[in-house]
Amino acid sequence: MQPQLKSKVRCADREVGEVSKVIMDPLSQEVSHLVVSMNGAGERQISMFAVQTVAEDLVQLRSSSSEILGLPPFKRDDFVTLHEVEIPGLERHIHVTPGEVLVPFPELERNVKRRTFFANLTHVVGLFIGLPLVYPVLKFMMKPMYAPFDNKWLKIGNIAKVKAENSGTQYEFKRKVKEAYLPEAEIEKNVWLVKATPAVLEKVYQGKDIEFVDSDGRAIWTNKKDFPYLAFSGKCPHLGCAYKWRKHKVLGEVFLCPCHLSIYDASGQVLDGPAPRPLDLLPIQVSASGEVQIIDMEFKAGTKSQTRIV
Amino acid sequence: MSDTPSVGTPPTVAEKVFDFVDERVGLKLLTAKMLNEAVPGGSRWAYVFGSILLFIFAMQAVTGVLLMFYYVPTADHAYASTQYILHDVDYGWYLLSYHFWGSSAMVVCVFAHMSQVFLWGAYKKPRELIWVVGLALFGLVMTFGFTGYLLPWDQRAYWATTVGVEIIDKVPVLGDFLARFLKGGAVPGQMTLSRFFVIHVMVLPAILIGLAGLHLFLFRCAGPAGPFRGTPTELKAKTDYFFPRQIWKDIVGMAVVFACISALAFWEPVVLLDEATPDPGDYHPEPEWYFLFIFQHLRLKMFSGEFGQFLASIALPGALGVMLLLLPFFDRNPERNIFRRPIALIGWVVLTASILLFTVSAIINRSFLD
Repeated sequence: MQPQLKSKVRCADREVGEVSKVIMDPLSQEVSHLVVSMNGAGERQISMFAVQTVAEDLVQLRSSSSEILGLPPFKRDDFVTLHEVEIPGLERHIHVTPGEVLVPFPELERNVKRRTFFANLTHVVGLFIGLPLVYPVLKFMMKPMYAPFDNKWLKIGNIAKVKAENSGTQYEFKRKVKEAYLPEAEIEKNVWLVKATPAVLEKVYQGKDIEFVDSDGRAIWTNKKDFPYLAFSGKCPHLGCAYKWRKHKVLGEVFLCPCHLSIYDASGQVLDGPAPRPLDLLPIQVSASGEVQIIDMEFKAGTKSQTRIV
Repeated sequence: MSDTPSVGTPPTVAEKVFDFVDERVGLKLLTAKMLNEAVPGGSRWAYVFGSILLFIFAMQAVTGVLLMFYYVPTADHAYASTQYILHDVDYGWYLLSYHFWGSSAMVVCVFAHMSQVFLWGAYKKPRELIWVVGLALFGLVMTFGFTGYLLPWDQRAYWATTVGVEIIDKVPVLGDFLARFLKGGAVPGQMTLSRFFVIHVMVLPAILIGLAGLHLFLFRCAGPAGPFRGTPTELKAKTDYFFPRQIWKDIVGMAVVFACISALAFWEPVVLLDEATPDPGDYHPEPEWYFLFIFQHLRLKMFSGEFGQFLASIALPGALGVMLLLLPFFDRNPERNIFRRPIALIGWVVLTASILLFTVSAIINRSFLD
């Protein structure tokens, strides 16, 4: 039977106090010592070897009361409670609750003064492991994020497909893409062509030719203000969906984006809906035989000003 | 805790194995602790959602791992391998459709779970941290939905991602970097697919398992909130343990959810559109139904222009998130009865009604587009 807290403690001659704490041995997981509260004369630590018998609420010691009182006072700082240390399975071996159940605070730990310093040092060393990784990992992840622009002219069909003036005609075309390690693949894209009357051209160009530039600001191509054909990127400048040429009940024939219902006229100007800027004009040239060529640029959606991204 | 078997009947092998493990890890104690959790005021059908969410997640993990046995996350094979799962692999259509509808079930149950905690006032002291971690889990569920949507690499997938990432691009200062980081370039392609795949099958599950564990741990620290009506004596009189009554209700709930998801998988199995490409043809891009309300409110004229878009796609959802996050810290009134918290009740009704309104109007809008 394990000694119970609050049990009376009796020596060979007389009763000396009651059990105030119990000390466990972490290895054998047995009670190794009792701490006895000596009726106001402090606490003493008594080995279980000094215990003769343990009864329900009484612990009988072999020694005399004067021997026990002669022991040095109990040093609480040499111990930690069960809640402060991790000793697997220990809870299952004690049946002395409620009260303070102690285990010895190891000798080596008692003299460690700079606990905060060591705690911080751990963090610093951890930082030294982590910090050098930040830049390589970031660069590793950023590898494909910024690619140079592709300024190649693409043939997209014959201009004869455009029938009416100031009306949108879709040109679907295929372009080859070579992404990193993948084999070359073909993707489908589309642009919209408009054969514009001078009035519509004026709305687009406002009297000035439009110059297209590379990422370094170098001019690639200029769309002349009196050239009658307009090519619009198929990407809606609102949030990047693909718009269509549709009949609108009130506005007549318009470019309409089915996603968020932005509406543009034949010159690409916003008539209605959430779009922040007109449709994006692309570089266009038409050969003598009617072959249409464009540079397949893409611009950031959702911004008021035009920012080229492809 | 010595476990000497009763006289006369020698222990069976199963009992011996159990005792062997118990001696080493304290299995009996652990089981008792897990099952004997007091439910103040007694078990209720209303409490099933947390367990159901755990169940749905477990099933998403199982079906997700199974799908990966055939799925290939490359731009030239993702679509074909998904079609292969749907049309050639035995029961592939079922597992893929279960995974697909499971995500919808997840969103529905998360909404129910959060609404309940909100209406019951269960986020209040001392349960603030459970609420905060719960919000993070909600964000994870939505991110799971968004990243998983791209993987089949059909037109639906491609356009939902294109528009979704454009919305992230609207974050001030960091937006362009974040959008390019997610896409792995200027436009969606192989790098986007790789990134979404890794985020969907590795990063998010790891975070979710950690946070769900933390959520449960915090829940066990604070204990269930119980009903908001009744005196302590009344609640005590009705209190029972997690097992058996609540677990019984939970497992019935799980079975119902399983049946619903399976039924949806049977009647509405996943059908892919054409393979992803930057030309949508006749397809009208639209996100999954649980993102429709965001999609629809971006159509409003009041959110036009650069600033309007920032307002609609970043500022408003962000403000709502911050408000929910701070909710337990500024709502310090201990009153939990929803009928004595008029602002909370009105707030919930208005938010739910507007989500419903925008979702329904997005659906009605479809018929005007063709």
